[in-house]
Amino acid sequence: MRRDDLRPAVFGTATRDRVLIRLALSENGLHVRELARQIESSANAVHRVVIALERAGIVVSRPVGTTRIVLLNRRWYGAVELRALLDRLAGAYPEVVERAKRSRERPRRIGKPL
Amino acid sequence: MILSADASLVDVAFAACTVLAQAGETAVLCGGSAAAYYVPDLYQSLDVDFVVEVGAAPHIVDRALAALGYAWVAEGHYRHATLPYTLAFPIGPLAIGREYVTAWRTDRRGDLLLHVYTPTDVVRDRFLHYWAWGDRGALEVALAVARARRADVDLEAFRAWTERELTADGSYQVARVTRFFDLLRTG
Repeated sequence: MRRDDLRPAVFGTATRDRVLIRLALSENGLHVRELARQIESSANAVHRVVIALERAGIVVSRPVGTTRIVLLNRRWYGAVELRALLDRLAGAYPEVVERAKRSRERPRRIGKPL
Repeated sequence: MILSADASLVDVAFAACTVLAQAGETAVLCGGSAAAYYVPDLYQSLDVDFVVEVGAAPHIVDRALAALGYAWVAEGHYRHATLPYTLAFPIGPLAIGREYVTAWRTDRRGDLLLHVYTPTDVVRDRFLHYWAWGDRGALEVALAVARARRADVDLEAFRAWTERELTADGSYQVARVTRFFDLLRTG
């Protein structure tokens, strides 16, 4: 993450903004390490953000194998409005959107050319 | 107030709600533990989930629950030295999907009281787990409560609520609502 980033931290911190924007771009959620890699932050920092957001009910996580997948909580009472705001804010984070586009979440047949 | 060694989830819920009320806080039993209150034979839970209606000062909650032998273990969670039930306080407000819950039922047992989701709200809440995440267990619980408390569950209000949720978020599957009503009719 750039230290001279002058974009406003709408949700309190730049990491929190990026975590939420990246999750809004994800259909199936992401595990913390992948989330951290995608927003160029540390896994520890993202983990702390995720715990706070989960406690607030804004995100949920579910175990998959030995890791946990984090996703926006569509049951949260403000989920629809939050998603609309994040879609709007994503325009200010082209690097996050670009990385998300390059990250494939759907299954890919083994051996299929890239 | 002393909780006996064989206290049930319902005993703990009444005691916790009462000591919090005495401390000036309104805590409403919700989530899976509210379902366990209505169908104790069909659904067990070891978490006693309360949402405190208006944000309470943590030290007030700590002190009230300490009177029952419950101590803070993590943000929003309290444990008893011997009882298996954990008291959990998710951050409010009380809401099911997009809608705030502003009314609940209050049951009394002697001097004790319990604020709890109505059976209709328990059905909405459990069904929403299934609707949002495909959780079949939650669907079974919603159906169990709807069957066990047939006279208390307002299915028309439930259906109207699903339509409002669908209007706001079209990605929810109508088929899951249909499935709920089909299973309720045939089960």
